[in-house]
Amino acid sequence: MPQGSVASGAPLRRARPSREATGSAGNGTLPGRRRVSGYLLVVLLLLAWELSARLGIVRSENWPPVTQALAVAATSLAGGDLLLALVGTLYRMLAGLVLGSAIGVLVGLALASSRWLRLTVEPLVELLRPLPVPALVPPLILFLGLDDGMKITVVAMTAFFPVFINTLEGATSVEPTYRLVARTLGVPPLRRMRAVLLPATLPFIFAGIRVAIGLAFIVTVVAEMIAGDAGIGYYLVSMQYAGRAAEMYAALFLLAICGFALNAGFLRIEQRILHWNRR
Amino acid sequence: MIGLLDRSLRLVPGVAFIAALLVAIEILVDRGLINRVLLPPPSVIGRTLYDLLLSGEVQGPLLATLGLFAVGFAIAVALGVVLGLLMGTVPWVDDLLDPLVELVRPMPKAALVPVLILFLGLGVPMKITSIALASVFPILINTVQGVRSIDPVLIATGRTFGWSGARITLRIVLPATLPFIAAGLRISVGIALLMTVLSEMLAGTGGLGAVILENQRSFRIRQMYAWLVLLAVIGLVISWGMTVAERRLAPWLEKHRR
Amino acid sequence: MTTMAGSQALHTDPPHRFGDVLVRVSGVRKHYGAGGDQRTVAIGEADLEIRRGEFLAIVGPSGCGKSTLLQIIAGLSEASAGEVTLDGRRVTAPPPDAVYLFQQYAKSLFPWRTVRRNVTFALEHKPVTAAERKRDAESLLERVGLGEFADHYPWQLSGGMQQRVAIARALAARPRLLLMDEPFSAVDALTRVELQALILDIWSSSEDLTVVLVTHDVDEAVYLADRIAILGRRPSRIDDVIEIGLPRPRHAIETREDSVYLKHRHALLNRLLDRPL
Repeated sequence: MPQGSVASGAPLRRARPSREATGSAGNGTLPGRRRVSGYLLVVLLLLAWELSARLGIVRSENWPPVTQALAVAATSLAGGDLLLALVGTLYRMLAGLVLGSAIGVLVGLALASSRWLRLTVEPLVELLRPLPVPALVPPLILFLGLDDGMKITVVAMTAFFPVFINTLEGATSVEPTYRLVARTLGVPPLRRMRAVLLPATLPFIFAGIRVAIGLAFIVTVVAEMIAGDAGIGYYLVSMQYAGRAAEMYAALFLLAICGFALNAGFLRIEQRILHWNRR
Repeated sequence: MIGLLDRSLRLVPGVAFIAALLVAIEILVDRGLINRVLLPPPSVIGRTLYDLLLSGEVQGPLLATLGLFAVGFAIAVALGVVLGLLMGTVPWVDDLLDPLVELVRPMPKAALVPVLILFLGLGVPMKITSIALASVFPILINTVQGVRSIDPVLIATGRTFGWSGARITLRIVLPATLPFIAAGLRISVGIALLMTVLSEMLAGTGGLGAVILENQRSFRIRQMYAWLVLLAVIGLVISWGMTVAERRLAPWLEKHRR
Repeated sequence: MTTMAGSQALHTDPPHRFGDVLVRVSGVRKHYGAGGDQRTVAIGEADLEIRRGEFLAIVGPSGCGKSTLLQIIAGLSEASAGEVTLDGRRVTAPPPDAVYLFQQYAKSLFPWRTVRRNVTFALEHKPVTAAERKRDAESLLERVGLGEFADHYPWQLSGGMQQRVAIARALAARPRLLLMDEPFSAVDALTRVELQALILDIWSSSEDLTVVLVTHDVDEAVYLADRIAILGRRPSRIDDVIEIGLPRPRHAIETREDSVYLKHRHALLNRLLDRPL
């Protein structure tokens, strides 16, 4: 990679395509060595939670023993509201993520291929990008209602930006020699795009998607909290109203597990596809 | 001079495109092709915003939102950088905190807001905690990563001067980590603003988030859009401020830019 | 039409064979930037004839526009004035039978493709079946001594091996004109000798291959080439073209001790170092 301190750029710009693959979901997912004290700390905190609730040190309806929350989480996996809510949330998130990422890649590649297009469209994108996503929910409700269509759209809009920006950055910084090689070998433009531009940009696209996953997850839950009557976000808010704390904590545990699994799963896919990306 | 002129010339197509888009929407709404109840013409929204600004109604929510954002984000930055430097330089701190961080990090932090409402109520403490909690992680993670990727030669250089660990951390590790911290800040700043608006919406009180949602629910659509534009401007200003700050803090990054 | 006749004649008259003109460079200039003071002149004015089947070297001090000239011949860069013709036709885009070999193998191989698929890249847009492509690539890799490495990725190979892959890929396009831009300058001395031998072998065993080699290495130019074109300092132009006249086949050690070789080397170095003869 040409740049040394790549984290240079923008938010989303270049979370570091190559090596940081291990970075962002990284170092910590490899428990490996020592870290014993850290796991001990986690266990101790959970123990403190349990005991403080059981022994009545903290007396509050908001503070059920952790085992009670875990039990709710465990039984919910066998079926019931929580599981249903979780599945719905994951569906909306993945649908929005796929849609937004696909559009981000396409627009990014298109803008990279034409300077004029870039000059025309980029300012609009830069103008819209800093808009905090929850604010988009109210107007979108007007057009799309409260259902999946609206939420998937919000998630897609969220996922679009990091993927688009990384794709554009990647596609405009492709090693120029690659293109010259393809030209001197007589490879026609469309094939050049598919066989050279796309694979060369892939590490950047993945870096963008990695950022998008985290944001999409947040925004799905956010959209569910603000509008509609489905999903984990709604579940959390309604349990809060109902004062059923154990259910809330159970939902949080499941969300954390899902988040972890999503990151780890994506990392696996990324390492598989980008195994060649060593430098 | 030529550079400046060239740069402003380059803005022309983009500005023209945005203007054309606005005019197109105006015409479409005017012709009834877009329901004017759902999306008033841009000129009407502009007018509403203008009246809003004159009425002085804006000040309260605006300051509330900005204040929340600033305090929450500042806490996240301080916490993230200090903890990050500690975790990056002191092995036992890293061992102690890394598993905890890794457990909490993948969770979508927005989900914590209802829990925080249980404990802290609907007021400012809940909002600030939500904002700080959600935006601290990208800063923390990037800082740790930045410290870990420092060229050992730099630290060895400090040692040969006989510097203490703290001095090395402040004089060498921190500046060398700045590019990473800056990248983390850029992600967090967006999340912080998102959480500000979300916590306001969920609490239903205070700043712009609450006002926008309230306007939508009571179907004052023009006002809703006007406030939305205001929020977009705030987002833009903050994002621009970040860029300026980054240039100040780490000017050597400039060369990595196009 | 005369060129067509020329190429016919060539087939009846194999190995060496200085035929008619394959490439004609006439009045080529190249400058970058706007006019006036900001203009950088890369090539002052270049005229050159490249004969069919020859091995031509272009030498000159660094920064004299050698690579630019080669890119213009390859159709990868446009001349500001003048023209290049290949077989009498004006070059406006990369011609299908002229292939450019880049100096930096590390940047010219695709890291996401195996060695074999880097070679087949030259064939994938052509009407050949996948099986044929594979067979072609494998025999070419065999030819450059990398038969066993077809399934490796570029980063698993040494620099010299990577450049061999690039050579195999260039050959897969079946060029009649191979344009090499300092292809051996980024490898160590021993590897360079091996690669030079490989290129000589490929060139002399083919019927109709013309090679143009850009280099700043005088020894390399004299050792490999039939003729050497000397590019002067800025604003650069072709100062002279000299015939080497060393017998072939050439030998990595003996040829370099030949008095003719030494004479050319001496004279060329003097010229490039701006010393009187």
